[in-house]
Amino acid sequence: MSVIMGFLQALPGLLQLTLEAGVLLLLPALGGVLSERSGVTNIAMEGMMLTGAFFAVVIDLSTRNPWIATLGAIVAGGLMALIHAVVSIRFHANQIISGFAINIFAGGLTAFLVDKLFNESGGTDHVAQGARLPYITVPVLSNIPFVGPILFQQNIIVYVGLLLLVVINFMLFRTRLGLRLRAVGEHPQAADTAGINVYVLRYGAVIASGLLSGLAGAFLSIGILNVFNPGMTDGRGYIALAAMIFGKWSPVGAFVACLIFGLGEAIYANNSSIHISPQLLATLPYLLTLVVLAGLVGKSTPPAADGIPYEPGAE
Amino acid sequence: MAAPPTQIERGRPAAPPAVTQRVRQWGAALGMPIASVLFAFVVGAIVIIVTGGDPVLAYQSLLCGGFGASCSGTVYPALQLSETIVNTIPLILTGLSVAIAFRGGLFNIGAEGQLIAGVIATTWVGIQFGTLPGFVLLPLVLIAGTLAGALWGGIAGVLKAYTGAHEVVTTIMLNYIALYLLRYLIVAGPMELKGQHSVSASIGAGGQLPTLIPSTAKLFDLPGAVYRAHTGIFIALAAAAFFAFLLKRTSLGYEIRAVGQSQRAARYAGVSVSRTIIVSMLLAGAFAGLSGAVQIAGLRHNLTDSYGPDSTGFDGIAVALLGQNTAIGAVLAAVLFAALHVGGQFMQSNANVSSHLVEILQALILFSIAANFLYSFRLRLPGLRRARSAAPTIAEQGVVAVAPDRGPPAVPEPDKSGSV
Amino acid sequence: MMTPEVTNASRTSTSAEEPVAVEMRHITKTWPGVVADNDVSLIVRRGSIHALVGENGAGKSTLMNVLYGLLKADSGEIIINGKPAHISGPRDAIALGIGMVHQHFMLIPPLTVGENIVLGREPVRQGDVYDIAKANADIRDLSARYGLAIDPQARTGDLPVGLQQRVEILKVLYRGADILILDEPTGVLTPQETSDLFQVLRSLVNLGKTIIFITHKLREVLEVSDRVTVLRRGKVVGEVATKDTSEAEIARMMVGREVLLRVDKAPAKSGPVALRVEHLMVNSEQGLPAVRDVSFELHGGEILGIAGVEGNGQSELVEALAGTRPVAGGRILLGERVVTNLGARGTRDAGIGHIPEDRRGAGLVLNYSIAENSILGRQRQPRFSWRGLVLRLSAIVGWARRLITQFDVRAPSEETHVKALSGGNQQKVIVARELASGPRVLLASQPTRGVDIGAIEFIHRRLVAQRDEGAAILLVSAELDEIRSLSDRIAVMYEGKIVSIESPDVPDERLGLLMTGGSGRQTQHTATA
Repeated sequence: MSVIMGFLQALPGLLQLTLEAGVLLLLPALGGVLSERSGVTNIAMEGMMLTGAFFAVVIDLSTRNPWIATLGAIVAGGLMALIHAVVSIRFHANQIISGFAINIFAGGLTAFLVDKLFNESGGTDHVAQGARLPYITVPVLSNIPFVGPILFQQNIIVYVGLLLLVVINFMLFRTRLGLRLRAVGEHPQAADTAGINVYVLRYGAVIASGLLSGLAGAFLSIGILNVFNPGMTDGRGYIALAAMIFGKWSPVGAFVACLIFGLGEAIYANNSSIHISPQLLATLPYLLTLVVLAGLVGKSTPPAADGIPYEPGAE
Repeated sequence: MAAPPTQIERGRPAAPPAVTQRVRQWGAALGMPIASVLFAFVVGAIVIIVTGGDPVLAYQSLLCGGFGASCSGTVYPALQLSETIVNTIPLILTGLSVAIAFRGGLFNIGAEGQLIAGVIATTWVGIQFGTLPGFVLLPLVLIAGTLAGALWGGIAGVLKAYTGAHEVVTTIMLNYIALYLLRYLIVAGPMELKGQHSVSASIGAGGQLPTLIPSTAKLFDLPGAVYRAHTGIFIALAAAAFFAFLLKRTSLGYEIRAVGQSQRAARYAGVSVSRTIIVSMLLAGAFAGLSGAVQIAGLRHNLTDSYGPDSTGFDGIAVALLGQNTAIGAVLAAVLFAALHVGGQFMQSNANVSSHLVEILQALILFSIAANFLYSFRLRLPGLRRARSAAPTIAEQGVVAVAPDRGPPAVPEPDKSGSV
Repeated sequence: MMTPEVTNASRTSTSAEEPVAVEMRHITKTWPGVVADNDVSLIVRRGSIHALVGENGAGKSTLMNVLYGLLKADSGEIIINGKPAHISGPRDAIALGIGMVHQHFMLIPPLTVGENIVLGREPVRQGDVYDIAKANADIRDLSARYGLAIDPQARTGDLPVGLQQRVEILKVLYRGADILILDEPTGVLTPQETSDLFQVLRSLVNLGKTIIFITHKLREVLEVSDRVTVLRRGKVVGEVATKDTSEAEIARMMVGREVLLRVDKAPAKSGPVALRVEHLMVNSEQGLPAVRDVSFELHGGEILGIAGVEGNGQSELVEALAGTRPVAGGRILLGERVVTNLGARGTRDAGIGHIPEDRRGAGLVLNYSIAENSILGRQRQPRFSWRGLVLRLSAIVGWARRLITQFDVRAPSEETHVKALSGGNQQKVIVARELASGPRVLLASQPTRGVDIGAIEFIHRRLVAQRDEGAAILLVSAELDEIRSLSDRIAVMYEGKIVSIESPDVPDERLGLLMTGGSGRQTQHTATA
């Protein structure tokens, strides 16, 4: 009985954390969706996010302005993505190795710079309270019992993320740009013969994934936390990848998956109230993804031309 | 019918043909990796300069720390070498793990998880049967680790063969599952040693691999116990030899390579593609599991929470790629990366350049391999498409290649039965 | 099943005073080693349906790809509606009112019909929002105007092939095409869909469109076209008004009589039945029936040639016999033994050799050496591996060397990667491998495709020699000269059935007609000597 009571008492806080963790995953997942929908395999969200996290802190420490810092993080993520884009699209490289290399590169570069700039202390300095991305409490609405704190007491980036979800979903399925993007990812040759520039769209999508991942990094390092530690993304980029697949390459589907994984993370962090081994719980998102991949929960097919560099006239 | 050709094609001098061709092949094979490494070092030097360091000193420290060569000051070269050997051992094995999967046309990112599976099994067996004598316990723990790794790899293989689930994603997932499984076991879990935090008991003495330098001896003014290099190196080298034998001299290896090169030709040859995929992943997992087993038996002797997502398994990918998926290549590349890792620590203390530069170098090597690999015919790396053993297409094989020259590239898609 | 004699009286012919819509003058296009189009000229008048006919490799698609801008001709000019045109890409062609419906549809299955049609020219509202309503309205207009009913909201991938083709046609019309090129449009259609298509084409023409369509099916040429141009080996061999010609005449032009590479061979000493095929049914990759109830006997000591245009089931037949494709019905017997569905390895071990039609894709592993390729498919046989496990390297090397010597493969050594060999030498490796294994039955599919003359002669001689030693050989080839000169009997395959078994002296017209679905006595032979 007390277990259930304890669970119920902890629930609002749990769900609040779930939404936060979910949006943190959603941003790179949306990036992955865009990139892969255009036909470029992208497993580099981890590295792009880490890069964003680092630059957010560093810029924030010197400017004391979280907004500029966030902008910087976004740009940094975009630049990382640009490397992946050039190597994959221009050089027709294997996109998995390239994405993988980005992750290692980002990990090494950020850790290297931390050592350089902060005298090998293992992390950056802490960002001042006032220079962080603020949490917002929506007046009136946040007082609604139970639901209020969950939905209306969140970091500003959570709302940004949700807005982006709506916008990207709309873009992908209702606009001309989205239509062309999807065409390019399914059948680039047909798109090319219809007069669409395959390369520009793919570059754009990959860079967008970097921008989104960079934003997520800033959210993590100067929103949720206030510091950068090497490797702090802790595999979230890969979970975002799993969420994308789980959500069958659709923004809303990915969001649902991110919420599920976010719940797992929230439980992991709050394991005192739930008496299941946090480690075993933590395996759930990965097990679930395996199940989905095995086709046990419907087919999970990527865009048809995903991962194949486009060469006009080749088969 | 006809006499053997008296003039060799293209009027090359009549040197023993096999030899010249071998030499040319070796030259071509070595060219790309060496170029990649050089490229990485050059860019790395730029990074060092830009951040206010001295690249010459840094690279010299790398050399000293990794190989004990051209050292100055109070350094123990033999100790450095010993540490490099320690790091080389698991890298060879995970490199072989990734390499054999690549040869079979599969991308094994799961070496880390397979290694962890091996580590867990080895330790468990080593504890449970800890009182058994060495000649029984040692093979037992090594086999246990190998089998556990094989199982872990096999899961991904079966999923790919029967559901088409791409092994890149499934092995990443399995990595995390293995990691959390390990943590579950030793963080307040069933294998945690009483009175300790996040460590397990040690395996029995019989299951421990002896070190190269006996602890009672003295070498270069240092007690033998300091030299951690262990006999696992022989196991690793033997595994490399087995790898080469398997691929070159067995029919199974022939079939694995055929599937990796051309699923269509493999089918023509009567090879079951799904069965071969599963076998390839079992083997890949086995090598990685052995890597974990050797780490426990030779180095740590117990479980600790020191495995993260970025570790030996991932380095194995770089090793395999740089080594062009061959046995000798894997050994050499493993030595290089191990030396970089060990040398990096030294570089940090000696030249004040963060050891993380090594990761940057590694990434740069991978970039240049990724961009260049079109010309490296051995790699044949797969892409992230859903693949079924049923209908093969170029895309399904994942051959990211220039249009094969089937004659006139008729746009749109050329078709054998279409008109020209 | 008899095909009715087609009359041309039902066609409305176009007046010769209609202006010229398309004129192609002296177009030449070559690839390395191959002349695809050799000084080809073509005149198509507005409001007519012009058929471009020829065998595979005749140059039809290449010519149209030049017109559409997908390829650039080496020389020659194109004049559209009286004005010289520089077409450097599809965009130029589209701007000139030329549209192409490809043989392999350029459709994106997950998108709707409407999306596929307007892709690249999508109507938008403010904010880049795709204006579905306008797109659908435009499409319905087009549909009504041209009589091409379609549901713009349907998912393209779910449509039957005939309707998918309709979407392709609408795509082209949406972009304002007045000149439509259709590349082998009926290859994937059912008879009903084909006649629907022809009705559509006629109504388009009545509305002033000009249509060029590429085909190799004679019946259709006569049914729907106004004029025919016949290509063979890159040259124009005839250009007539459809009403002035007949199937027989077109067939003769298509097939022709060439300098045959006649192999000196003794008459066959046909022995006992080596391979018996009974009511075989095989499905294609797409799951459609490709081999429909085929039965025949293959005797030792004879070469049975299968003549037919590619795509009529020959590939699937050979694959089923070789064990690389499952058999959906019927039986295959090797001697007394049933070998149906034994798989590739079982079939090979039983003594059926296979020279595959896809030399580079299936027959060889390009990055393997000659030695490694020489045992492809036999790597587990006792003579090449100990207990089927460890390869006997010296035995393999010896075997490879013998093959190289006996079959005159030009290569520095047996370790040479097969990738480095010329096409002819690559094929010799395959032929050597299959022949030297002494098979009871040999399946040879396009054995000399893409191979130089010298190697062709060599391979032909070896095939005959194998026959003389008692092997039963099934030869599938798109090269009629090859079939004629090698075969002791010729079976003609059309639409998955063997329509006739002829002697090698069968006249060209008859052979051409049988191969292209023309009229003629069509009986299915089950067993003849």
